[in-house]
Amino acid sequence: MLSFLLRRLVAGLLTVVTICVVGFFLLYANSSDVARRIVGDLASPEIVARKAEELGLDRPVVTQFADWVGGVFTGDLGRSWFSGQPVVAAISGRLPVTLSLTIGAVLLTAIVGVLLGVAAASRRGAVDRAVQTSSIVAAAIPGFLVALILALIFGIWLRWLPATGYVRPEDSLTGWLSTITLPVIALSIGAIASIAQQVRGSMVDALRLDYVRTLRAHGLPRHRVLYRHVLRNAAGPALSVLGLQFVVLFGGAVVVEQVFSLPGVGQTAVSATVGGDIPLVMGILVATAILVLVVNLVVDLLQAWLNPRMRMS
Amino acid sequence: MMHRFTSTRAAAAIGAAAALALSLAGCSGTAGDAEEAPSVLRMGVITNLTSFAPWEASWANQSPYLQAVYDTILRADPDGTVVEGLATEWEWDDSRTVLTLKLRDDVTFSDGEKLTASVAADYLVRFRDGTSENAAYLAGMTSAEAPDETTLVITLGAPDPALPVYLTQNAGLVGSPAMFDAEDAQTTPVGSGPYTLDEDASVVGSSYVFDVNPDYWDSENVHYDSIEMSVFGDPTALMNAVKGGQLDATNTTNPTQSVEAEAAGYTAHAFELNWSGFLLFDRTGEVNPAFADVRVRQAFNYALDREGAIEAFDGGMGTATTQVFGPESSAYDEALDERYPHDPERSKELLAEAGYPDGLDIVMPSNNFVPEANFAINKEMLAAGGFNVSWEETGDDLFGRMLSGSWAAAPFLLQTDPTVWQTVQFLLLPDSTWNPFHVEDATINELAGIIRAGDGPEADAAAQDLNTYVVEQAWFAPTHRPSSVYLTNDATEVEVQVGNAVPYLWNIRPAK
Repeated sequence: MLSFLLRRLVAGLLTVVTICVVGFFLLYANSSDVARRIVGDLASPEIVARKAEELGLDRPVVTQFADWVGGVFTGDLGRSWFSGQPVVAAISGRLPVTLSLTIGAVLLTAIVGVLLGVAAASRRGAVDRAVQTSSIVAAAIPGFLVALILALIFGIWLRWLPATGYVRPEDSLTGWLSTITLPVIALSIGAIASIAQQVRGSMVDALRLDYVRTLRAHGLPRHRVLYRHVLRNAAGPALSVLGLQFVVLFGGAVVVEQVFSLPGVGQTAVSATVGGDIPLVMGILVATAILVLVVNLVVDLLQAWLNPRMRMS
Repeated sequence: MMHRFTSTRAAAAIGAAAALALSLAGCSGTAGDAEEAPSVLRMGVITNLTSFAPWEASWANQSPYLQAVYDTILRADPDGTVVEGLATEWEWDDSRTVLTLKLRDDVTFSDGEKLTASVAADYLVRFRDGTSENAAYLAGMTSAEAPDETTLVITLGAPDPALPVYLTQNAGLVGSPAMFDAEDAQTTPVGSGPYTLDEDASVVGSSYVFDVNPDYWDSENVHYDSIEMSVFGDPTALMNAVKGGQLDATNTTNPTQSVEAEAAGYTAHAFELNWSGFLLFDRTGEVNPAFADVRVRQAFNYALDREGAIEAFDGGMGTATTQVFGPESSAYDEALDERYPHDPERSKELLAEAGYPDGLDIVMPSNNFVPEANFAINKEMLAAGGFNVSWEETGDDLFGRMLSGSWAAAPFLLQTDPTVWQTVQFLLLPDSTWNPFHVEDATINELAGIIRAGDGPEADAAAQDLNTYVVEQAWFAPTHRPSSVYLTNDATEVEVQVGNAVPYLWNIRPAK
C-alpha cells in the first residue's frame, strides 16, 4: 500500500511541475501588453515602460521563471500584478468559497445521485424511466442556465435566498448557507445526473450476479443486499466518476461564481488569465493542481480499499 | 416493505434537510434585513480597483473606493465647480503658472500622522512620477513646495487651467507619508478620508467594507456608518443584485438596464459623460489623401443619421450632437448641433465636388468589444452618403494602432471633459493623445493659447470660436452623447457628477 501511495505521489508531483513549467511559458508568451493593461489606455508610453520595469517584465523570461520558482520554495508566490495583493493571500481568501461550492456540490451529488441510481436500479419500471429521462434532461441543460433560472426564481421572484454575494461561515453560518445553497444546486444538477446513471448501470450489472442471488437465497433483507453488498461492489466506478466530477465541478464553479457574483478562485482565474496576471494565474494553477492531485489520491486510496486487486496493478 | 420504508425515510430526511436549509436561509434573510440598517450603504461598482496607492490610482469608476479613504486637495461640486477640499483657498499668480493653496491644519491620517503642506507636495511629485494612467495630468508641474506647514505652492512650466480640476481627482489624493515605503500600499490605504478600509471583511477585487472614521474633519459630508462596495464584473449578476434588492446604489454597464431596474422600483439618474461617433484623424491626408479635403470630412458628417444612431446603438437614450465639447463647457453652442443634418444626398454632392463622384473607399478598424451589428449599421449608414467602408479587424492592439496613425478615421467613444482646456489638450493640439497624425492648425493654436492663459470672458469667447471652427472644419464626426445611468433605491438619493462616471461619495445620501 505504501509503494502504491508513493508511486501515485511521484506521478502527481511530476504532473504539477509540468503544469507549472508549461503554464508559465504559455502565459509569458501572452504577456507582452500586460503593463499597458495595468496602467490603462490613457497612460503614456513612458508610464507603461515605468510599470513594466517596476514589475520586472523587462527581464528575460527565464530569469523571471527562476525568480518565481525560487519564491515557491520559500512559500512566496509573488504579488498580483493588478491588485498588488500577495498571491498566497489572494488564493487563501478565495479558495474557501470555491471549495464550499465544490465540496457542497460533491456531497449533494453523491447523496442524491446514489439514491436515485439505487432507486432506478432496484425498482426499475416507471422509477427507472423517470430517473433516466430526468438525468438526460439535467445533463443537457447548461450549468449557467440552471444558475440563472435558480437566481431568477429563488433570488428575485421569491427572494428566499440572495441572488448574488457571499457570506463567510465565520461571519454567519446561516448567511453562508443562504449564499451557497443556490450555487451548489446549480453546480450539482448535471453531476447528479451523471452519477445516478453510473450507479444505476453498475447496480443493474451487479444485481444480475450469482452472489446476489445467493445472498437473497440466504434470506438477507433486500436493503442489506442492496446497500451493503451490491452498492459496495458497484461503488468503484461511481467513485471514479465522482472524483472526476470534483475536478469538473471545480472548473464549473467559474460560471456559477460569475452568475452569483461569488468571490471564488474560478472568477479570479478567468480575470487574471484574460488580463495576463502571471503571478496570480500561476498561484491558482499550483493550488488547483495540488488539489486535483490530492483528490485523485484520495479516490485511488478509496478504490484500493474497496478493491484490493487495484493495489497490485 | 422494508425497502419501501427505507426509501421513504431517506426521502423524508432529504426533504427535512432541504427545509432546514431553506428555513436557515430564511432566517439569514431576516438577519440580513436587520443588517441593512439605514446607516449602511450597499453600493455596486463595475470596475476593479487598480490600486489604493495614490500615485498609481485611477479615477472615474474607481473614484468611490478612493474617496472613501482619502481626501483630495480640492473637491468638485456635482456641476463641476471646484470647491474647498483639503485646501481652503487657492490663487494663481499673474503668469498663471504658480498656484498657491492654503491647506487645513486640522487633518490627521488614520495612522495618527498630521497632514502638512510638505506631505501634500510629496504626493504631487510622487503622482507625477508614478504609474497612474493620469500621471500626465501633472507632467507640466516643475515643482511642488511647502514654504510652511499649511502653504502649498505648485509651479508649472506653462499655464494649465485644468490643474484645479485635476486636484479634485486622483492627482489630488493625499495619503499618509507612511505609505511611500509600505510594501502593501496597493492594498492598504492610510488616508484621512471619511472611512477606513476593514481589510478583514473585504475580499480584494470582489467586496470592500469601509467603516466610518469617527474623527473625520468634515463629518457633515459623512452619511453612513459603513459602506459595502460589491464589484460586479458580469452585467447579469449586477442586474440580479438590483432586482433582488441587494443594492442601494449602483452604476450600470449599459443604460438600457434602467428599464429593468425601474420596474424593480429603482430610480434611474441619467447623465451624459461621453460622445460617440467618429474621429477623422487624417486631416492632412497621410493615409487617405481624400481626408485632407474639408469637404470630404463635412460629407462624412452629413452622411450620419444621428437620431438613428441613438436608437440603434443606445436604445434611444442619448442626445444627438456634432460637438466634442459637452453642454457644461463654455465652448458648447447648441446651434452647432444643427450644422450637419442627416443628408446623404448632400454628402454625395460634397464628395463629387471634392473629386469623388463615384464614392470614396475608406478602411476603419473594427473590434470585438463592440457588437458586430454596430459595424454593419455604420457601414450601411455611410454607404448611403457615398462612403464605401471596409472594416479591418483588430484585437488588443486597437489603441496602439489607432494612436500611431494607422487609419484615417475610426468609430469610437470618448469622454467629454468638464473644462475646455482638458478637451483641447486631449484632442486638438499637435501633441494631443487623440491627434495621432499631429495635425497642427494655426487657428486652433491661437485660440487654444487664449484659453490656456485666461479664464474670463475672453477665454470663453475663444472657446466658442474654437468649437465653431472645429465643427466647421469637421475634425470629428460625433453622432451623439449616450446616456449613462446611475441607479438608487427608495432609501437613497443621489446627485450625479459632471465629468465622472460615478457620483461623488458624499453626494449619495439616505433619502429624506
